[in-house]
Amino acid sequence: MTILRTLMGSGPSSRLVTTRFANAGPSTLIARRLLSTTSARSMPTREPPKGSEVYETPDYLRPPPTPRSPPLSAKYEGAVDPYHGGPSAIEKAVHIFFFTEIIRGMWIVLEQFFRPPYTIMYPFEKGPLSPRFRGEHALRRYPSGEERCIACKLCEAICPAQAITIESEARLDGSRRTTRYDIDMTKCIYCGFCQEACPVDAIVETQNQEFSTETREELLYNKEKLLANGDRAEAEIAANLHADHVYR
Amino acid sequence: MVSLARTLRSIRRVGLKEWWRQLQYIGDAKSGRFAGADQFGNRYYENLNPEEEIPGRHRWVDLAQHDYNATQVPPEWHSWLSHIRKDPPPEDRVMQNLSPPWKGPWLENLTGTPGAFKTYNTTVPKVQPWQPKLMSRGGPSA
Ligand code: SF4
Ligand code: SF4
Repeated sequence: MTILRTLMGSGPSSRLVTTRFANAGPSTLIARRLLSTTSARSMPTREPPKGSEVYETPDYLRPPPTPRSPPLSAKYEGAVDPYHGGPSAIEKAVHIFFFTEIIRGMWIVLEQFFRPPYTIMYPFEKGPLSPRFRGEHALRRYPSGEERCIACKLCEAICPAQAITIESEARLDGSRRTTRYDIDMTKCIYCGFCQEACPVDAIVETQNQEFSTETREELLYNKEKLLANGDRAEAEIAANLHADHVYR
Repeated sequence: MVSLARTLRSIRRVGLKEWWRQLQYIGDAKSGRFAGADQFGNRYYENLNPEEEIPGRHRWVDLAQHDYNATQVPPEWHSWLSHIRKDPPPEDRVMQNLSPPWKGPWLENLTGTPGAFKTYNTTVPKVQPWQPKLMSRGGPSA
């Protein structure tokens, strides 16, 4: 490769061509073009009949000079022949027939064999998650232990998958609370709109993504399950909200 | 197969017994700083030296149970293991201050066991089944 590069680097200066079109013979292959792309006015004109008034075309009406492709043998200044000094056809054939590319590829594999592996060994090691990661849902409580949700149903209204079902009643002390807060986790698309809509930060999506179940029924979460999720993950949820609060 | 120098270095640091345990579970010889242990006895390690551990594999857990499972990691440590929090929970003041006294006990994912969550209705049923009521023979007036 280095040899090739030096050859290519020294190439152009030695092959400077003084005349722009050294060999301007008619090259029919290159000059051939579609009639539709050719300006008709650049076609060769016939001689006018004798004695007729010849209208001299002014310069500004003349068509621009026809661009012609240079002949194949034309050389430009600084042109590099990509094949010059490179491997010959026989050399290339040797590389193909002796599978040198495959052997070089296998060598890379062999080198990798002695390097530390990149594989993340889940579940012992895990890839990075964001504090905004949207996983399993949870209903939060105030630090006093009072549940946050005020049954405003904004999350139910915004949910694009209509996964949330809420019913509410007045509690004995007169405050409005949900009697039913169901999320169908099989319908949920984990968009996070519910936690954005919630005025009291009651419904949140925790960073737990490992809540897969064996049966569909276990994914139909009700209020008790969501509150229990919030109770056990509250430290993590609150720390994430704390980490993110400067950006909100 | 792993880098031989890295494997030998880790074996020298953690000892043959620990290395054998690592081979049974993580499947790789790793060594690093002991960051702490959780209430279930899972031990957490960290090695921030990029020459010794590939960045991204620099935090790991040695799960206590033989029948291991990703959800055996409690949320505080899950946060650390997933690189969400910088400091492990014993050193993380923010996490400690935000832990409420009513925090619930962590349960691993119990699907497939009798403890699996089965959903139920949290409201009074809106449709009541018909209750046959017996009236006396003589009718309401009697
Ligand atoms: S994350 Fe999106 S789809 Fe899921 S419950 Fe919330 S609003 Fe609905
Ligand atoms: S979770 Fe939030 S948005 Fe949804 S009903 Fe409760 S208070 Fe309203």
